[in-house]
Amino acid sequence: MSRRLRSAARLAALTLLAGAAGAAAPAAELAVPPIAYHQRSLPNGLEVLSIEDHASPTVTVQVWYHVGSKDDPAGRSGFAHLFEHLMFKSTAHMHAEQMDRLTEDVGGANNASTGDDVTNYFEVIPSNYLETLLWAEAERMSNLNVDEANFKSERAVVEEEYRQSVLAQPYGKLFNAIDPHSFAVHPYKRPTIGSIEDLEAASLDDVIAFHKTFYRPDNATLIVAGDFDPKQLDAWVDRYFGWIPRPAAPIPQVAATEPARTADRRYTETSETAPLPAVALTWLIPPAKDADVVPLQVAAALLSQGESSRLYQALVYRSRVAQDVGAEVDARTGPGLFVAYAILASGHRPAEAEQQLRAEIARLADGPVDAAELDKVKTQLLTQELKQRQTAQGKAFALGQAALIEGDPARVNGDLAALQRVGAADVQRVLRRYVTGAHSVAIDYLPQAKPPAGKATSKGGAQ
Amino acid sequence: MKRMPHRRLAVFTAAALAAGSAFAAGADFPAAPPPPGPAPRLSVPTPAAQTLANGLTVVSVRRTGLPLVTARLLLRRGAELDPPGKAGLAALTATLLTRGAGGLAAPQIAAQAEALGGSLDANAAWDQSEIGITVTTPRLPQALALLATVARKPDFRAEELERARAQALDELHLALSQPTTLASLAAARAVFGDGAYGHSRSGTPASLAAIGRADVERMHAAVYRPDNAVLILTGDVTPEQARALAQQSFGDWARPAAPLPAAPAGQGRGALPALLVIDQHGAGQAGVVAAHAAPPRGDAGYYVGEVANAVLGGSYSARLNEEIRIKRGLSYGASSRLDGRRDGGLWLGLAQTKNPSAAQVVDLMLGEFARLGSAPVPEAELAARKATLVGAYGRSLETTAGLAAQVGELAAYGVDLAEIGRYIERVQAVTPAQVMAYATAHLDAGGSRVVVVGDAAQFGDALRKAHPQAQTLPQQALDLDRPDLRAPGAAGR
Repeated sequence: MSRRLRSAARLAALTLLAGAAGAAAPAAELAVPPIAYHQRSLPNGLEVLSIEDHASPTVTVQVWYHVGSKDDPAGRSGFAHLFEHLMFKSTAHMHAEQMDRLTEDVGGANNASTGDDVTNYFEVIPSNYLETLLWAEAERMSNLNVDEANFKSERAVVEEEYRQSVLAQPYGKLFNAIDPHSFAVHPYKRPTIGSIEDLEAASLDDVIAFHKTFYRPDNATLIVAGDFDPKQLDAWVDRYFGWIPRPAAPIPQVAATEPARTADRRYTETSETAPLPAVALTWLIPPAKDADVVPLQVAAALLSQGESSRLYQALVYRSRVAQDVGAEVDARTGPGLFVAYAILASGHRPAEAEQQLRAEIARLADGPVDAAELDKVKTQLLTQELKQRQTAQGKAFALGQAALIEGDPARVNGDLAALQRVGAADVQRVLRRYVTGAHSVAIDYLPQAKPPAGKATSKGGAQ
Repeated sequence: MKRMPHRRLAVFTAAALAAGSAFAAGADFPAAPPPPGPAPRLSVPTPAAQTLANGLTVVSVRRTGLPLVTARLLLRRGAELDPPGKAGLAALTATLLTRGAGGLAAPQIAAQAEALGGSLDANAAWDQSEIGITVTTPRLPQALALLATVARKPDFRAEELERARAQALDELHLALSQPTTLASLAAARAVFGDGAYGHSRSGTPASLAAIGRADVERMHAAVYRPDNAVLILTGDVTPEQARALAQQSFGDWARPAAPLPAAPAGQGRGALPALLVIDQHGAGQAGVVAAHAAPPRGDAGYYVGEVANAVLGGSYSARLNEEIRIKRGLSYGASSRLDGRRDGGLWLGLAQTKNPSAAQVVDLMLGEFARLGSAPVPEAELAARKATLVGAYGRSLETTAGLAAQVGELAAYGVDLAEIGRYIERVQAVTPAQVMAYATAHLDAGGSRVVVVGDAAQFGDALRKAHPQAQTLPQQALDLDRPDLRAPGAAGR
């Protein structure tokens, strides 16, 4: 199947000095050119998305696999992420770190990331290396071949990553505790980084089994964006990826359903290094593909995007109970989270910040929302999109997010239209439904010289 | 290298046949990476520089395609002007610009900037202060008008100074709780001593408390003036539009009669041992920083330094990460950075590791600094690291903000703006002998200063065994205002 979108509509000519004296044009007049992408599938199930863009003589090659930490094997939390690191080790035809030789050493760059639902591998290279990197990605999809020494040394690196992001970051333990406390049943409750014990329990056999189970063409999307010739790209993709067999075994799918919360819950985490306390609140939200997610994103932006946002003005500027506040939508292929948090200012307790966070969210859900405020947030979100779309890599990331997390690449353009249509009533409806009218999980984060003997405390019962 | 069991290949083959795929095509799959095609050329846009009658320099770089523009007002003085005992003054001054100006209160300024789709970001670094915003092209005139208001007419209300001071204090405590951040601060103090680059530009608890409104006003008057400023506009804007817009918002900004303040000496006398341990009880990891004094930004060997640093620790595949992470799994990442300033510079190696391996990481880091001056970099390695450097440079120019950052660095140090288009050839011209000579000149072993911040109970003995001269200071006894970092009466060993 194949379709090619029409190329970006020309932007209306803009006269620079004309607008100097007048009011800002409303967000509705801010045109973000759509991303013109091409989509096709190979017979072995590989999805291919491409965006031609000759602004820079570079090209990005990305392979997104539909596997994330929610698919970690039992007793192996953190495994999908550990595995991601091992994809930079040897294959049948590449020695360890050869991906770096083919990218960094020729003026490119590479990286990868693991999330709850997806793992993506991405390179940017001078465009004359496109064929080389297509070969290399096909090679590690089909011929991974890690040895014991590389496995152990890379596992040690991942353990240092755990220490750096969870233990050495003053608020690392708080953010790492959000998923475990927010999900009761769904495997999202395991943090992506895992635990030192589970990482130590992982073996080379686990690596082989994981690759065989999830790293296959019918579980992957190849995204190429930048300076390439479309016909040549199709021929190379056919040549290097077309032969890779589609395994007969079905791809395991997470079937767990997260039940609706029946009560508010509260937990406490402690830190030996955080200078000041913090508090985080979470609520369950629908999957990323749900139409309610865009208005929830607008709600989060109204609450916390920039210093004019409601939470910043109330908690940081006016009452000064917090030094930092945030509200964000963490949308996933399955149930996601609406998260609000505050890192406290000196001399204040988590309860003060929590009361104000809840009050501001309630005021947004039930009080008046000014049209200018809504327009401000749309302008911020659209400008942010434009900034991301300056590079081929930025466009490819946006497309991958739409295709794999929201389930449809067309959402990369459709979401912007949906954003323009969001009204105050939509914001208030979704906030009431998923946040103020639902049950929260609260996590208090307390600086403490020695953590208490017990683990998290939980307090059931509706408030 | 141990091979994987053959079983996997057999299973794949069977599946391929079952699925009816073109098995023959798999047999065609090459065993070696296909070679590259002919190299494409990177075209670097040319900056246009103009000067207004009041001395304001206007630099613009045109990039069409998307209706975006980054605007930055850059002032050629920064934290090096912080007076003794008032560390953090330049940073606090920059922060306060957006907290009330031209009759607008802080919330109104934030609301206006954000309604334009951007945010006004102000800060003070070494040798420069700046305020910037990125907006869509139709909103540029209003964004510049707002930027001019906050830069030219801040009111520094007492209430906002108190608020900003309290915030700066909380942010400082947060920064100091992170081992590598604290180690970097202490290492800079070790290298620059009582020189202007030696202090904490975020301030200290005592210095932040000592700053008054008159200090902030003095700093503003000294730094924020048209003949000390460069307005940078990158993106969807022509040089003619840039000049007209600059004239509209900054044309009537009067140039003061008083001369610009002289820049103080960056380098002073150091008072710290070659190896200092700061004991941060309960730290989740140890931060290891090795530091050397380096040449200024205007040094003739600038590009040699860029390449030398690229070899040492400028990327994933560079030597520090190769030895510390890739070969030994001791850290999530080890890197280096070479920071040339107006008067001297700083060369830092950095890594965070589990507490028990801190001593090993110190020795690996020092070993790599030493190796750079003791043997020429092999040609293939040098070519690879140059390619990494050139590639990253090209990518940095892809966004309006990245373009503004590159142009800003040149403008801040008075470097010919045309260098933006010569970077690649200059880097390519560097030889192994030049890198070795550069390292020999600037990395003498006696000049290195190492700071380790972490849970000293877990590595102190190992470290003192290898480095008997090492001294240990508990974090509670730290006074960042003093060149020896010791609070009066503090214990230490």
